[in-house]
Order: sequence, then structure tokens, then C-alpha cells
Amino acid sequence: MFKEGMLALVGQGFIETIYMTVISTVLAYVIGLPLGLILVVTDKDGIHPISWLNKLLGLIVNFFRSVPFLILLIALMPFTKAIVGTVIGSKAAIVGLWVAATPFVARMVESSLKEVEVGVIEAAQSMGASPFQIMTKVLLPEAKPSLLVGAAISITTILGYSAMAGIVGAGGLGAIAINYGYYRGQNDIMYVMVVLLAIIVLVFQELGMRISKHTDRRL
Amino acid sequence: MSEKDTMIRLEGIKKRFRTKAGELEVLHGVNADIKKGEVFGIIGLSGAGKSTLVRCINLLERPTAGKVWLDGVELTALPEKELREQRRHMGMIFQQFHLLMQRTALENVCFPMEISGVPKAQAKTKALELLELVGLSDRTDSYPAQLSGGQKQRVAIARALATEPKVLLCDEATSALDPNTTAGVLSLLKDINERLGITIVVITHEMSVIQEICDRVAIIDGGLIAEEGSVEEIFRAPKTKIGQELVMHEGSNREAYTGKLPYCYRLVFNGGKENEPVLGEMMIETTGVVNILAANTRTIDGQDFGQMVVQFPEEKELREKMIQYLRERGVVVEEVEYV
Ligand SMILES: Nc1ncnc2c1ncn2[C@@H]1O[C@H](COP(=O)(O)OP(=O)(O)OP(=O)(O)O)[C@@H](O)[C@H]1O
Ligand SMILES: [Mg+2]
Repeated sequence: MFKEGMLALVGQGFIETIYMTVISTVLAYVIGLPLGLILVVTDKDGIHPISWLNKLLGLIVNFFRSVPFLILLIALMPFTKAIVGTVIGSKAAIVGLWVAATPFVARMVESSLKEVEVGVIEAAQSMGASPFQIMTKVLLPEAKPSLLVGAAISITTILGYSAMAGIVGAGGLGAIAINYGYYRGQNDIMYVMVVLLAIIVLVFQELGMRISKHTDRRL
Repeated sequence: MSEKDTMIRLEGIKKRFRTKAGELEVLHGVNADIKKGEVFGIIGLSGAGKSTLVRCINLLERPTAGKVWLDGVELTALPEKELREQRRHMGMIFQQFHLLMQRTALENVCFPMEISGVPKAQAKTKALELLELVGLSDRTDSYPAQLSGGQKQRVAIARALATEPKVLLCDEATSALDPNTTAGVLSLLKDINERLGITIVVITHEMSVIQEICDRVAIIDGGLIAEEGSVEEIFRAPKTKIGQELVMHEGSNREAYTGKLPYCYRLVFNGGKENEPVLGEMMIETTGVVNILAANTRTIDGQDFGQMVVQFPEEKELREKMIQYLRERGVVVEEVEYV
């Protein structure tokens, strides 16, 4: 079933998938984490309400979240080309993944931060903490376990997106599954890819959960 | 009382909340003067506006109208940044403790010092001292989840003291604790008041807490101070209906009675238990019998007070004779509504 060189191909696909997923997750957090923080802080019940900014950012996030991923990827092609000079391959896929994942990450971060008890924030305020100190010393550290769980969910979701990006020419395991399994009818290869992707999802998921549990002091 | 003896002055504090059902005015213009070094109690039934009032003191809640002074500084006139500075002079503890769950006891106590820029080593030394003061030297590295309610409140107290505040605000600080733990925390607060001279404001719905540690008390009802005075005064002769209710129902099971009972009186015996036989003597002497509805003894400022709520007989002449007998023997008798 596996032809010569297939193993090398799968190996490369594996590396490409991990590369795309990890890089775009990191990039998504670079923007998504501050964005989620701003969404929480500027909320009408937040520590520094700014209604117009909150509404504007919420609108942008919702807009990008509502566009189906593949369509977003295609729509972004001119932008992608401008940034990385090409619209195919892993590098190009990262741009699309980044744009698609950022609003998702922002919402994950937002929901984690909202779990921090209002009372704890008020206690900090009663001690004279500034909004910035509350962000860095209360919101983020107190929400850390939940943020880590959110990161595990985000990375597995982005992994799923990366497999889909295979349709429009990204590399990785998803591309192999589509090219060999779908276009050439080699079902066995497709199933191998599906299993591999599932294993990666499980590993990321489990790892995230464990780190979160391990660092959570609430027992 | 002169200006400079006042630690906290509240002047015409009003607070309105905007709710879906419309505007809700919770405080209708509260005035209060809290003296330096005293333990001041604010008591009231649930929903009376106690928490709202105490949150107006450190401006966690901005009053809709009115002024708040702390040690001569008008807090309501300060911009945010200066207000934050002033808040460091006021520690606050809460019913639900509100500790940082991801920090150890020691790190929790260091937190306010971190915020105000105290060098790390110095903060740690101070935090260890404070944890010793509250009796938790052996639990410095425990996380809140590993501590009991009483221990958590002690950490919260140490944390509130870390910035060496002039005032400690306590909102139902013992309401989540069992009676034994409550007694421990209250005596710690009293000790802090006496040793460090910190002014303490105690918010509670329990008269026993007031009697335990307060010098003066204000009763809040329907968003206004109904009456105010020394704990002894209020306990001995509450003037308002709400005052009588709070003093009387202490320790009694109010659900046991339904409807309003007629001919109810509250008796206060100076000197506590020893003087209670006078009731028995009265019954023998006058051949009238009372029905005891509630009774307890309290020590206020080292003086014992026994109090009872009793129901006298319906027959007017006999009832007056009985009351006369008690009054002649120094028992305070006042008619009350007991529901
Ligand atoms: N943020 C808010 N928005 C709207 N209404 C509020 C708000 N905070 C308090 N209230 C209302 O104000 C009233 C007084 O509340 P407050 O918490 O001050 O009472 P309390 O005396 O502390 O009661 P408890 O003993 O139950 O703690 C209540 O009717 C409450 O519903
Ligand atoms: Mg309250």
C-alpha cells in the first residue's frame, strides 16, 4: 500500500502540520491575548469601561468569527500574497490561520478572564491597584489555569483549520489526506492521516490539561 | 466632637442604582462621624444597604450625592490616581475573603505592598510579621484552598494591614464562619484595634458581633441611619422599632412565632443573671404569670445585661401591677412588638 518515499512524505507532512499549527497559535495569541484582555477590561462591568471601543472590537471579532474558514482563506489571498509573497504552502497558510484564529483566541481569553471572581478584583481595587496592575497581577495570574485549558482547545482547533487549509494548497497532513485520499482515491492513506491528526489533537489536548491542572493552586 | 478626632465623615451619602425596573435609591442621605481609634458598628437587616454604604466609604461605589472624608481628606473630590493612593490608608475585608487563589498566604499578604511599590525583601519581612500577628506563622506557604475559612479570613486581615492603614473596613467579615471561629476572628480584630490603634468599621447583621467588639453602633434601616449611639445605650434602650427588633431577636428563633403577639414586653436586668430571680419573685408576689419568649445575657464593656422578651397576661390591672413591681426593682420594662 505505501509506495516508496511515502514515509518521507508523511514525515514531512507531520512536521509541516506541527509547524503551521504552533506558529499560527503563537501568532494568534500575540494579538488575541491583548484583544481578549481589552474586551474584558473595557466591558461595561469591567475595570475600565470604554463602551465604544468594546463594541467596535466585539463587532470586528464577531465578523471574522462568522466568515467560514475556507472562504476567509480565499478572501485573504491578496493580503497573504502581499505579506509572504505566495498563496500556497505552509507559510501562506500561516497567514490565513493567524487571521482566522485570532478572534477565536480572543474569545477564549475573554471567557477565561471573566471567570475571575469580581470580589477578588474589588479587593485589589480596595488596596489601590490601578487597572494595569489588576490586569497583570490579578486577572492574568488568577485565570492562568483556565487560560491554559483555552490554549489547548485553541491549538487543537487551529490544527483542524490547518488540515482544512490543505484544500487550498497548504502543506501538512491535511494536504496529503486530500491529495492522495480524496483526489487519487487512496483511502488507506487518508485513514492513516486521519488517525495521525487525531493522535496529535489528543496529545496537545492532554498536555494542555495536565499543565493546567498541575499549575492550578485551587486543587 | 472636633474635626481632628474624626477619622471618617460621611455627609449626605445617597446612592442610586440604575436597574432594569428603573432607578433604585438604596441610600437616602446617610450622615456619620467615625472617631479615630474606635470600633464602629453598622448593623441592619439584609438589604438595608450596609454593603453599599461601606463600599461608599472607600469609593468602590461612587455615591450619587454626598461627601466622604478620610482623616480630613475629601475622597469624593479626588481624581482617580490620588484616590488610589488614599485607598492604601483603608484596608478592607470581606465575607468571602477574596484572596488570590493562585498565591500562597505569604504572597497574598505581599500583594498590596507589591502594588504600592514596597521593595520585595522588605515586603516579605513585613508580611511574615503580619502572618505572625494573625497566628498563621506555620501556614505561610499554604494556598488559600488549603486553609479553613477562619484561616483565610486571618490571611485577609494580614493582607489588609500590610499597607499600615488607618482604617479597617469589615463587611460581614465573620458571617461565613462558625461561632468558635467567629469569636477568634473578632478578638483578633479587637486586639488589632487596641494594639495598633486602627479605626475599625464593622458591618454586620448580627447584634452579637456588635456587642462583642464595637464601641459605637449605627442602625441602618431603609437606607437611613435609624439610630446611633454607644452599644450599651442601644442595647439597653433601643428607641426605634428596628433597633428593638435587632436587639430582641438576637439568639431567638423568630420563625417559631407567627403573627403578632399581644402584651409583649422586653425586660432588661442590669447585672445579668443574678437579678433575674426578681421575675420569679414578682410572679409569686402578684400571682400573675408571664410567658417567656426569648432570653439571653450579654456582657457589654464588662457589665452584664440580661434581657428577656415576655408576654404578660391580658388582664390590664394585673399586668400593670406586675410591671410596676419590676420597675420598682430597677428592671427596664418596655412594650415591644414581637412578631
Ligand atoms: N449594583 C447594584 N445594582 C442594583 N442594585 C443594587 C446593587 N447593589 C446593591 N443593590 C441593591 O441595594 C440594596 C442594598 O444592598 P446591600 O448589598 O447594600 O445590602 P446589605 O445591607 O449589605 O444586605 P446583606 O446583609 O444581604 O448583605 C438591595 O436592595 C440590593 O438589591
Ligand atoms: Mg452586604
